[in-house]
Amino acid sequence: MDKVDYRALQVWLTLVVLTLLTYAIGVSGLGGAVVVAGILLSVAVKGHLVVDVFMGLKGVRSPWRWIVTAWLFIVLLLIGVAFTMGES
Amino acid sequence: METVASRPAIVTKRSLPGDFAIWIFIYAELLVFGIFFLSYAFTRARHVELFNTYQRHLDRESGAINTLVLITSSYFVVMAVNAIRRGAARRCSQWLLLAILSGGVFVFIKLAEFSAKHAEGVTLSTNTFYMFYLSLTFFHFMHVLMGMVILSVVAVKAYQGAYSAQDHTGVETGASYWHMVDLVWIVLFPLVYVMH
Repeated sequence: MDKVDYRALQVWLTLVVLTLLTYAIGVSGLGGAVVVAGILLSVAVKGHLVVDVFMGLKGVRSPWRWIVTAWLFIVLLLIGVAFTMGES
Repeated sequence: METVASRPAIVTKRSLPGDFAIWIFIYAELLVFGIFFLSYAFTRARHVELFNTYQRHLDRESGAINTLVLITSSYFVVMAVNAIRRGAARRCSQWLLLAILSGGVFVFIKLAEFSAKHAEGVTLSTNTFYMFYLSLTFFHFMHVLMGMVILSVVAVKAYQGAYSAQDHTGVETGASYWHMVDLVWIVLFPLVYVMH
């Protein structure tokens, strides 16, 4: 019998809710700088949860964990910059 | 006076889960996907109208369902790793089978999406947006297939009793690769299907 992994289940539920939220934004047609920032923030949260909990990198010694986390945040930040350039 | 109890505990940092070689591969893959994402974003900055117009033609439902499918498959993989850490090898292979089946659902939905675009006459040379859409999603699609092959090999080996609670590096290696595939899609879906 499997033990319920409440942390993993909690992360899975969070990922599902944030994905449905992103989809709802897509369907509503909302766009612009604030919406893009909100979506990128939700992707940062989702990605961070996958890296720390699903991949199990939380507690892994440096720099290995931070390479993945830094990749995520740098890519999202630069995507944000590119979308801001597109707005102007 | 400082007591023993008030001293910070010595935190033992773990090493990466799975084989170190897969992490070199994962870091390289993340770098390639990162360059791909930024190429998309900065090219879009110069063709905003074009990207916004053709993004509306994408099947957003398929993209969202596939995100849920990959997230769920990742959860199954977490359960597989938990199972083998308890020494439950058969249970581990069952969880992996669920993850592989989820991967199959992703592949089926993606093929239907590609097929619909092909029927509309969309190709890599249709326009810049579709060039990025097709190449990015197809590149990721190939990684899903590769991940399914890796998980299948691990599932068979787990079923045959090749892993134990003490020795299960292979399971963690396959799991790490699969989570990378999931992580990349988590960025790709909003970037290509939603953000404008």
